[in-house]
Amino acid sequence: MIFESYIELPALVAWVGRWHPLILHFPIVLLLIGIFLGLTGKKVPKKLLTLAVLTALITAISGFFLGRESETKGNLLFWHQWLGGGLALFAALWYGLEGLQLKKPIYSKILQIVLLVLILFTGHYGGMVTHGEDFLALPVNKKEEKIPENPLIYAHVVDRILENNCVSCHNANKQKGQLLMTSLDNLLKGGEVGNTIIPSDAENSELIRRLHLPLEDEEHMPPEGKKPLDEREIKILERWIALGASDTLRLNQLEDSEPLVALVKGLMEPDPMEKWKNLPKVADSTLQNLASDYLTINRIAINSDALSAAAFLPPEYDPQYILNLKRVAQNIVELDLSGLPLGPQEMGLVAQCTNLEWLELDRTPITDVEIDTLKNLSKLRLLKVYDTKIGDKGVGVLKELQSLKSLYLWKTNTSQNVLDDLKSTRTNLIVDDGIDDEVKEFFIKSDSLVEEQ
Amino acid sequence: MMEEDKIKSENPLKVNRRHFFSQLSVGIGSLALGSLLIPDLFKNSAGQIAQPTLGIPHFAPKAKRVIYLFQAGAPSQFETFDYKPILRERMGQDLPESIRKGQRLTNMTANQDKFPLMPPKVGFQQHGESRTWISDFFPHIAKIADEITVVRSMHTEAINHDPAITFFQTGSQISGRPSMGSWLSYGLGSENKNLPSFVVLTSRGKGNSQGLYSKLWSSGFLDSKHQGVLLRSGKDPVLYLNDPEGISRSDKRHLLDQVSSLNKLHHVETGDDEIESRIAQYEMAYRMQMSVPDVMDVSKEPESIIKLYGEDCQVPGTYAANALQARRLAENGVRFIQLYHQGWDQHGNLHDEMEGQAKDVDQASAALVMDLKQRGMLEDTLVIWGGEFGRGNYCQGKFDPNNYGRDHHPRAFSIWMAGGGIKPGLNYGQTDEFGYNVVENPVHINDFHATLMHTLGLDHEQLTYKYQGRRFRLTDVAGNVIKDLLA
Ligand code: HEC
Repeated sequence: MIFESYIELPALVAWVGRWHPLILHFPIVLLLIGIFLGLTGKKVPKKLLTLAVLTALITAISGFFLGRESETKGNLLFWHQWLGGGLALFAALWYGLEGLQLKKPIYSKILQIVLLVLILFTGHYGGMVTHGEDFLALPVNKKEEKIPENPLIYAHVVDRILENNCVSCHNANKQKGQLLMTSLDNLLKGGEVGNTIIPSDAENSELIRRLHLPLEDEEHMPPEGKKPLDEREIKILERWIALGASDTLRLNQLEDSEPLVALVKGLMEPDPMEKWKNLPKVADSTLQNLASDYLTINRIAINSDALSAAAFLPPEYDPQYILNLKRVAQNIVELDLSGLPLGPQEMGLVAQCTNLEWLELDRTPITDVEIDTLKNLSKLRLLKVYDTKIGDKGVGVLKELQSLKSLYLWKTNTSQNVLDDLKSTRTNLIVDDGIDDEVKEFFIKSDSLVEEQ
Repeated sequence: MMEEDKIKSENPLKVNRRHFFSQLSVGIGSLALGSLLIPDLFKNSAGQIAQPTLGIPHFAPKAKRVIYLFQAGAPSQFETFDYKPILRERMGQDLPESIRKGQRLTNMTANQDKFPLMPPKVGFQQHGESRTWISDFFPHIAKIADEITVVRSMHTEAINHDPAITFFQTGSQISGRPSMGSWLSYGLGSENKNLPSFVVLTSRGKGNSQGLYSKLWSSGFLDSKHQGVLLRSGKDPVLYLNDPEGISRSDKRHLLDQVSSLNKLHHVETGDDEIESRIAQYEMAYRMQMSVPDVMDVSKEPESIIKLYGEDCQVPGTYAANALQARRLAENGVRFIQLYHQGWDQHGNLHDEMEGQAKDVDQASAALVMDLKQRGMLEDTLVIWGGEFGRGNYCQGKFDPNNYGRDHHPRAFSIWMAGGGIKPGLNYGQTDEFGYNVVENPVHINDFHATLMHTLGLDHEQLTYKYQGRRFRLTDVAGNVIKDLLA
């Protein structure tokens, strides 16, 4: 598309325009030196000023030519051009004033300050034109608000995917391929090639075609280097177009068998990594120091500060290697202490791991007393305490752990009615109290290998 | 390795396009030019595309380890999980050419001029809430129908055992690539440093069997510490692990320290990473002298567990013993436990041989799943059961419904999986009414690998190893994660 508009300009003019990003640095630096000298009361060398003004003018002119190449002028470019033009003009004015040798240096100083401000703003807008509006903004997260219960497929799902992946290049300021992706109307209007979206015909929609191209294809969207859409996102766009690309369609209007339902629901599930984003930072060196032959400690995933730790029984047991975990207690979300001769000290550590979601204490000497220390583990999702001495009192504590989803507690001192009560009051909790008796019976009776002999 | 680094640093031409432009953009003045040519140059440098780092998963995993119950020789899908009533209706009739479409056959049946359809002699029943079809050979697995997911749409390219099993284990039909257990060990590191992260256990049924070779658990071009360790039944599970008579543990320690210091000197001199690997291996062997006998000792297992797996699990070297062992190894943090049960190659006498094979594995496989479940280990352990390809729906050799055989068939076969982030109780994929071709949701071996890696938090496209100038992956250049299988 660059090339087509290019034809309308004399080639040389366009070529001059292309030098804009290179030349612009000269007037910036030269003018800044001049302003610095002027404001600190030094004499500004005439040659410096001449060169600065000259390059400022060339920059402005080349910038104007470059601007002509862009078909659509967004706000950013508009301001950049006017500020840049003004800048060149003021620089020329300064040159003139110096020539007049005014007695009152105050005018010069005001002019220099105005120039300084202009340089800052022109540069800022210029940066946004090349790198996108958010380039200089403080890092903000992508659009991540929760998708509502019963979302509008276009406004809450499709638009969000486009917003996060495409709009940075397809907006009023940077309308690549002459395609605006900021509203459904604009999408339907399409871009240069056209047929961006053909309602009910995803296959022939230009937008979908480009998503499916091989990554290295020139026309693949988003272009190389940008994170490609994942399979789910592509499928969502596809199904939405196939269903007519409507902006009134809601999730609950779809049949359960419609693939879009599962796709959108999948997107609505919180990213498991999200919840660990605010954990304290842990250095790799800390992990290396803590790890030993009998303690494995790993990040849950790359770039995550959530940790998973597993301890094994050394030939001579000294709890210190476990107690050392105190340094990273907040970060531990999975802890496996099964089969260890745990005492009150180790359980004290467990109590400090308040972000724990997964805890294995099976085959340890813990009792109801130690279970009491788990009271504050409000995020605990899975707990293994089978083959321990915990009893009904312990179950009372566990019953209060609202996040708990899976509990393994066969071979304990709990009584059946307490377990039954637990199962009936906490319906979302899966209590595993061992293999079903009937199945067990079947296995013992029909030992296929014994039968054979 | 050193060589390679040296070559890289000395060869300025080893710069790719992106490097070139980012270098270009460093020059004063041309900074903006560089960024104009690549509008998002700066954004990229913030690391939008994460580089794989080893020893930790790419994203939060569902599974931490795998137990692969490999049924070597390729059990027939028609006598296990893919029920096709039409085979009985059309028994003895020729397989329609519209179905076979001139497919390549092994030379064992390629010369047959007829392909008479052969129904299974064994009965089939639907089980569990999932209404999963399972043959009567597997009454115990039938009991866990709702825990497992049967995939009936597996397919491969290989039609002979060796390339097929090599394909399953290494992602390539040609041997030499690292085994999947080695890839996982490389990608995730070990969970317990006192045991190897990749362990192999073998057993053999009475059925017709094919060879197993250590190349199947080789680490290929990966560091040799990722190689699978074969555990034998009996007194010496790991050969040469125990010290000779008269050597005390402190003598051994002293010896190791001396050897290690010599090795370190050599490493400084040559920079060969395999030396470091060897030092680590000696150390692990030293610790394994303590840890392996402990893990292998099933005498501490209570009676109820022995009953669950079947009395045979007390006989070292049986499949049942290996299944119980597998649970103990998993419990102790071994990442990848590979069982092989040989004897599933039924070119003849299929019914009787399969009955025997099924008896070997049915109860122990189901017991393993249930045992893992009650320990909460099914939440993070993936169990896989299956062979290297399927078998034909027509009779091999003379037509005799009482004594028939089936030839190899790569286009469709069945496996099952349980736990580790796989949806339970699912029936995935379908074959045509003859069970010959996949007609719905095909799962290629590369897809299977990609999915397995996904459950372990690994992106199969990112876990690569550069060797001889190119990057290798378990899935080579293919593979899609089958999202529908994921819980
Ligand atoms: C890095 C900037 C960038 C991003 C991000 C980007 N595009 Fe583009 N897009 C372009 C450029 C440049 C063109 C014009 C060149 C071409 O046609 O390939 C274009 C053209 C298009 C066209 C063709 C318009 C027409 O009719 O000519 C479509 C459709 C499109 N993009 C869709 C998308 C979608 C969908 C996304 C988000 C997944 C996206 N783009 C993200 C830069 C981008």
